[in-house]
Amino acid sequence: MNGQEAGQRIVFEDVSKFYGEVLGVNRVNLSIPAGITSLVGPNGSGKTTLMNLMTGLVRPTRGRITVLGISPDEPERLFQKVGYCTQFDSFPKGLTGYQFLYSYLRVSGRPHLAADRLAGQAIEQVNLVEAAHRRIAGYSKGMRQRIKLAQALCHQPSALVLDEPLNGLDPLIRAETIALFRTLAQEGLHVIISSHVLHEVDAVSDQVVLLSNGYVVAEGQIHGVREEIHEQPMQILIRCNKPGDLASQVFQQDCVVEARIHPDGQGLLVKTRDAGRFYLLLNRIAQGGINIESVAPADDDVLSVYEYLIGTEEPTK
Amino acid sequence: MAVHKRSYHAYAGDLTPRWSRFLVVSRYACQNALSSKNLVAYFALCFVYPLGCALALYANHNPRLLALFNTSSFFDPGAKLFFHFLRIQGTLGFVLTAFVGPGLVSPDLANNALPLYLCRPFSKAEYVMGKIFVLLALLSLITWVPGETLFLIQCSLAGASWLATNFWMISSIFLGSAVEILVFSLLALALSAWIKRRRAAGAALLGVFFFGAGFGQAINAVLRTTNGSLIDLAKLIARVEDQLFRQHTSVGISAADAWVALVAISAFCLLLLQKKVKAYEVVRG
Repeated sequence: MNGQEAGQRIVFEDVSKFYGEVLGVNRVNLSIPAGITSLVGPNGSGKTTLMNLMTGLVRPTRGRITVLGISPDEPERLFQKVGYCTQFDSFPKGLTGYQFLYSYLRVSGRPHLAADRLAGQAIEQVNLVEAAHRRIAGYSKGMRQRIKLAQALCHQPSALVLDEPLNGLDPLIRAETIALFRTLAQEGLHVIISSHVLHEVDAVSDQVVLLSNGYVVAEGQIHGVREEIHEQPMQILIRCNKPGDLASQVFQQDCVVEARIHPDGQGLLVKTRDAGRFYLLLNRIAQGGINIESVAPADDDVLSVYEYLIGTEEPTK
Repeated sequence: MAVHKRSYHAYAGDLTPRWSRFLVVSRYACQNALSSKNLVAYFALCFVYPLGCALALYANHNPRLLALFNTSSFFDPGAKLFFHFLRIQGTLGFVLTAFVGPGLVSPDLANNALPLYLCRPFSKAEYVMGKIFVLLALLSLITWVPGETLFLIQCSLAGASWLATNFWMISSIFLGSAVEILVFSLLALALSAWIKRRRAAGAALLGVFFFGAGFGQAINAVLRTTNGSLIDLAKLIARVEDQLFRQHTSVGISAADAWVALVAISAFCLLLLQKKVKAYEVVRG
């Protein structure tokens, strides 16, 4: 990777972190581009350690990290570019939402007028205008989560690191927040999210990093990760008018491991070890009189990949 | 493959100088501390004695009053006056520290708020500086600031010859106050960092002084030594002030030993702060 590329990515090179004898993360090599990247893994897998490492709050025991070309050893430069929202409900006592953002903008070195303007903008972004001058202590869980998000993005960072940012949000605000992440990512921000809610990770992420016991188990776009898992046959759901006929035809092929008629009787779930060959076969079958409505991978999502790679320690589905 | 437009622009405006950012923390900490009416009342009370001293100095140089009482002076406005002034204001300052100090770091730790500060261009040292500055400012206002003001009043009333004789006291007033302020502040902050409950931290601060004094006395009595005073903070500070104001001392340890002990206690407090003020906590077991 050349210097210019590294300057636009968050890069971990052989990074390990041990808290005494406790393993945080081990031998992590990552290169995270702009867009939404989700860190997924069970409790204690190293998600928060990875986030603390990229925000410079903990130093690696071994290895090297650069965030958009800046080393965490340069906090003055790093923290102008990085916004961090921790998983803790942590607020200094007695502040209103506006004061909370304003004070941290001042700590970040923004002059009074800029801090006032940026605090207002961030409050608007997270839809808290009406509650801005109320004390945070009186906020609901969802409002606290949103003001935390606002403090992470109020200083206009280039990388947002968000630990469990969707916890406690009601469905409407959750959808708005995901839309905000999408907008920010489309504008070229690095949005790093850790989450236990796999279907949301699936919906929101451009790429995922799967962690287990401090190790990176897989990384990349979820489709690519799924393709690399050769030991698990691909599952394909075919919606058609004659699933029974289709089942009898596909069973004759050696690339098909299993075929099951969908419980609603309107489709067939096929497991195959060679998806390419199977799709070619399906083209031939379609010409033979079976009306195929749709063909879609059934285990090409974070949940399936998570189950294949990490197994039983499931986070929330 | 996601397509990113890269239309986002990071903040590119001016930044405030780095050295001044700790004052943001001080400002909010001070605002929080002074939100208590009891504390404001107590703080106001701390100015009663300096005001009384100023009036006494004025009276001591007022020919009509002196003539009325048929005396040349009511008291000697020398080192002893300023020495006692500092002892009294120091005691008031200690109580003020017990009010304010425990509430400085413990709420942030209890709320896990430290990552919020430390994921800014803001170091641990600046955080501690921001918090301690509240105590430094409040304690300064009731110790060396009125002390030096009284000294100036006395100079203006007594004339240049008095100033020439007592010029050395300027540094004594400042240094004596600085020792009190630093030791009280560091101790309060360290206890605030280690004890998450504000009231418990306040009680611990009082405990350190009184338990230290009692334990030191017990060591002195049982072992027939004077080294027990090395863990008695009040005596250590008193011994240093005795030396600074050239007073006869009743504390049985040398000034050098007292200085070393105070430096060691301050360093230990800094170590405690260094251990506790961090952005994350490792929970084992």
